Amino acid sequence: MAGRAAEALRAWGAAGPEEGRGMPVPAVCLAPALLVMAVFALALGALLRYSLFEFIPGSLRTGGITARNFRQLAAPQYLRAIWDTILLSLATTILTLLASYPVAYALARGRRGGLRSLLLVLTLAPFFTGAIVRTYAWILVLGNSGFLNTLLVRAGLRETPYQMLFTPQGVLVGLVHFSMPVMVLILGAGISHIDPTVERAAASLGANPIRTFLRVTLPLSLPGVISACVVVFAWTFSAFPTPELLGGGRVKMIANVVKDLALDSFNWPGGAAFAALALGTTFALVAGFARLIQRLQPAGHR
Amino acid sequence: MIAQRRSIPMLAAALLLAALGPRAWAAEPLVVSTWGGNWKDTIERVVAKPFTQKTGIPVEFEVGGTLDRLAKARVAKGQPLVDITLTTSHVGRLYISDGLFQKLDMAKLPNARALHKEALRSDAHIGVWAYVYTIVYRTDQVKDEIARWADLWEAKYARKIGMPDFDPSHIITVSALLEGGNERDWQKGQERLKRLKPNIAAFFSTDAQSQDLMKTGEAPIQVMLSVNGFHLQEQGLPVKLVTPKDVGGIVGIDTMAVMTGTKKAEAAYQFINLALSQEIQEQLVQGLKAGPFHTKATVPAKLRGQPGIFTTPQEWKERGYIMDDEVRARTLPAWKEWFNATIVAK
Repeated sequence: MAGRAAEALRAWGAAGPEEGRGMPVPAVCLAPALLVMAVFALALGALLRYSLFEFIPGSLRTGGITARNFRQLAAPQYLRAIWDTILLSLATTILTLLASYPVAYALARGRRGGLRSLLLVLTLAPFFTGAIVRTYAWILVLGNSGFLNTLLVRAGLRETPYQMLFTPQGVLVGLVHFSMPVMVLILGAGISHIDPTVERAAASLGANPIRTFLRVTLPLSLPGVISACVVVFAWTFSAFPTPELLGGGRVKMIANVVKDLALDSFNWPGGAAFAALALGTTFALVAGFARLIQRLQPAGHR
Repeated sequence: MIAQRRSIPMLAAALLLAALGPRAWAAEPLVVSTWGGNWKDTIERVVAKPFTQKTGIPVEFEVGGTLDRLAKARVAKGQPLVDITLTTSHVGRLYISDGLFQKLDMAKLPNARALHKEALRSDAHIGVWAYVYTIVYRTDQVKDEIARWADLWEAKYARKIGMPDFDPSHIITVSALLEGGNERDWQKGQERLKRLKPNIAAFFSTDAQSQDLMKTGEAPIQVMLSVNGFHLQEQGLPVKLVTPKDVGGIVGIDTMAVMTGTKKAEAAYQFINLALSQEIQEQLVQGLKAGPFHTKATVPAKLRGQPGIFTTPQEWKERGYIMDDEVRARTLPAWKEWFNATIVAK
């Protein structure tokens, strides 16, 4: 299998679009990656195996093999958690893309080095604060007596606080903030790989900056957009601390339900079944998502 | 000359070891599994320190959440990573169901003879302190006095209440008790609990979240651990802990147990016995603001009569409700499922 993969890589190198890009890859180089994949596969196998054991309430012991754990997942509350997760992940991906593209563009194409450095620092800063700290900061901003509501009430725009915390909208804000650094970095890398002479050629042929962006830069940045969207979608799909803290128990995503089942109800087989179902759903959605966007790409990028 | 230089530090090391005595360097540490934060700090200061002074055995801690530690213990079954586990009485039942706790030899726990009977949770785990889940509210944000569980259902408290979603057993049992049932026929309280939905502002998963919700005012009335309520008071937050007049607070009991397969069982018994002594129990009350189990333990005046602090058999009977541990451990998954589907979901 390793030999075949190496062969395929060699063939890709030989047929690569740029001369001299293909490098022979010895099969042994793939061994560490294959080992890691094997460990992951084993862990997933163990998860699937556990999901088939019968749960005995009030006991840590499990019963015989059963499909009951999966049948129970058809209950409305679990289906709703899956549906909410899909919607929140989609909304997060779209909003993060819209918010991140201008930042990534400025990072890649900005002429002032100081501004670019500042943007880079601001983009990377959230990475150093950790998910919990970032999420707690949003509690202070979105809460009934938080920064935004205090501002709204003092400005006379609202008599009573506007409920932002513990709502899907509040969770969405936190998820977008959480995902932005990743999206900006991937998009920035994508945009910076676009040859600037192409944009200059469009300008020299009379296209104004907006037309150049819409007809040249944006289409050429689509591979980066696709990669970033797939990563952010998958990353949001497994979000835990943001919905846990900003959702106040009312907004539950898949990871929260897995925790509910496995850790709060001691129902480890049920938690394993839900995690397996979630994993399958993620794979299917990401594959479908990537395929759909691939179809939308210009022929040259296929 | 070189040999002489080498021999000097070696001689010094030998003298140092001899001076410290054999116990200081030979004893293997006793490992105690417990919760983090103030729980661990208090046990370390109040129990572990005198234990080490007395026996020469150092104590190490493994800290974590109730169920994280249960999961670890299960994985390490047969060769436990810890010697003593502190956990809640009903989760202790889960450890017992998998044979993770060994049967206690009560002859090795002479201090247990002076405990309130409520401490004896099973033949494998024993209570060290108690507390209640009760009503705690911000007096600066809630003007009217809350004196009964039934008050929580009043319309004026719409979107004001916070409660745990990781364990809804307290409010489910309260609802059942208010309708003439208990944890065994909890269904009696279902309709009542549904009527509480409009008053619930948020659910919390951790003690830290609960305290944050109280501090920020997002949920100024809560079904809260009494220990956390006292902690907020100490921080200067204007909160009141209620001893409900209609149904007492729902009692929680934290227990200690000796792990099956430990090679340090003797030391573990000594540690538990020390924790159950009158003197240490009195210090635990002061450190944790939890109720003692030792019948002769003296409670500071400001804590006497407070929620979760029971000192007489009569107080245990009248001011708190103790759920059946086994029923609770067995029914909690069903409670969680119903609670999530009916109360948490919109």
